Amino acid sequence: MKNFKILEHSADLEIRVWGRSKEELFKKTMLAMEQALKPKIKNREIQTKIKIESENLEALLVDFLSEINYLNEVNQEIYQKIKFEKFFDTEIEADLFGKKVERFGLQIKGVTFHNLDIHQREDGLWEATIIFDI
Amino acid sequence: MISQKDFKKINDFLWEIPKSFWIKMRVPARLYLSDKMWNQIESRALEQLVNTTTLPGIVKYALGMPDLHSGYGPPIGGVGAIKIPEGVISPGFVGYDENCGVRLLKSEYNDKEIASYLDRLAVEIQKKIPSGLGRGRGIKLGLGEIDKILEGGVPYLVKKGYGGEEDIENCEEKGKMVQAEAAVVSDRAKNRGRDQVGTLGSGNHFIEIQKVAEIFDQAVAQIFGLFQGQVVVMIHTGSRGLGHQNCTDYLRVAMRTLPKYKIELPDRELACVPFESPEGQRFFRAMSAACNYAWANRQMITYYIRKAWQTVLTKKTDLKLLYDVAHNIAKIEEHLVDGKRTKLLVHRKGATRAFPPGHPEIPFQYKEVGQPVLIPGSMGTASYILVGTEKSAEAWYTVCHGAGRIMSRRAATRRISGSEVVRELESRGIVVKCWSMRGIAEEAPLAYKNVDEVVEVVHQVGLAKKVARLVPLAVIKGE
Repeated sequence: MKNFKILEHSADLEIRVWGRSKEELFKKTMLAMEQALKPKIKNREIQTKIKIESENLEALLVDFLSEINYLNEVNQEIYQKIKFEKFFDTEIEADLFGKKVERFGLQIKGVTFHNLDIHQREDGLWEATIIFDI
Repeated sequence: MISQKDFKKINDFLWEIPKSFWIKMRVPARLYLSDKMWNQIESRALEQLVNTTTLPGIVKYALGMPDLHSGYGPPIGGVGAIKIPEGVISPGFVGYDENCGVRLLKSEYNDKEIASYLDRLAVEIQKKIPSGLGRGRGIKLGLGEIDKILEGGVPYLVKKGYGGEEDIENCEEKGKMVQAEAAVVSDRAKNRGRDQVGTLGSGNHFIEIQKVAEIFDQAVAQIFGLFQGQVVVMIHTGSRGLGHQNCTDYLRVAMRTLPKYKIELPDRELACVPFESPEGQRFFRAMSAACNYAWANRQMITYYIRKAWQTVLTKKTDLKLLYDVAHNIAKIEEHLVDGKRTKLLVHRKGATRAFPPGHPEIPFQYKEVGQPVLIPGSMGTASYILVGTEKSAEAWYTVCHGAGRIMSRRAATRRISGSEVVRELESRGIVVKCWSMRGIAEEAPLAYKNVDEVVEVVHQVGLAKKVARLVPLAVIKGE
């Protein structure tokens, strides 16, 4: 299954992602965002923990990606794997695994709520559409 | 889908959707546009402009400039004045890049004198001013130092030796919003700002060495210190990660408190809080601090460009600041509303303040003619210097901010490659220093509206008057 698709948006970056579960959807959205940053990756491996609480599933996705974006920039790291310790519609705890980064090719200014959509399709797949301000 | 047919033509360059169009509109929506530019306006941007008219406290109308394009919440190229204290403040109506803006430095050289030094100047500037997407500045400031920048802005850096008094005088707000309070900016935002003072960022941000190609108004040009063929340097960047995080933080605060203040909106990204509420006041003070950070960032970049100038050129190394103006900001201003002086919170998102002659808030030396207005073009195309007029009182003394995108980044990279863009620029004698070829393709001129047409609308309407047209000699996009 294709992981994600970049949609046409005149000023920003809009992506659509699919997953067999909400966990997989979150993971793939994270991987799509990390790819969009066009990182030049170093060899040193890193690992970190995150904990997010939000009011609903949509806010959780935005807050989760905003947190990853923050960690990317401040720690100069990229995340390639995620292991969820806890996953509820309003709360996540996870271990992130990745590598140090020499530089990024793009900076994401914000993870937006604009036209944000998360839903389960008739075929059972979860689908998310999200816009990043770049 | 909203389109041209929903608009009433007020004159050749002004269109309006009346309040009766939709029950939720509090005021009409107005758009400055020429007939031939209608085919470049996205329906989504028009919807966003109409949504903006629903903000509590908005007066007269929500305004769209000719560079209007879709953002999130309010459109880019959108302007709205909110009556305070009773109205709201909206983080999304400032944008994720708080105080993204432009400044222009004037050299004493003309283009012929500098031709043989151009490449070295561009290399030196690129070397001294990183994009900040890699190793950053190499200096990580402590949080205490960041607090001083957040509250002290340009005057603080000048005191530390990174500029002169003229850099304060010729900056909007004299380089410092006094309402700034570092304590209401999160540590996360500050952390992102620690190694980014004096960095350019990505996307459409740039430094260009340009020349004055055409002067439209000799008298004003003289007061601005501009001459035909003069070499100038334009800087376009904002508050970097610190401002992005600040907007993210407060947008979430605003969304969570909507029920508390019983505010209902057609789009979550319009989220706002009453200006006078604790949340509203905190956001205003935090945004002001991020704006100070952005001015400090452009000041620090100026410092390094001056260093580069001194390294390469031995004489006439002065680079004087013409002006520095924000195009993503919310500010308290007094304007006439139905003949009465009224305190307003003017939100400008991708829109430039343009004060008229005699306005108390512009530098003394420009008082007679009006505020210099800086409009950057897309990469490799023209940029403009305009001057504020009394006519733009109808738009809260505001004009456009640039060309405005019409094509997605993806579509641009499908249409043209980075090396093709560079070849095209180089064939016109323009020096290009960039890190990412793909980044260059995404910013190709074909992805933008024609800045000449956008500026012509502003000029014809009289919101500002053209003073000079600038063309690039060198484009620098970070290390």
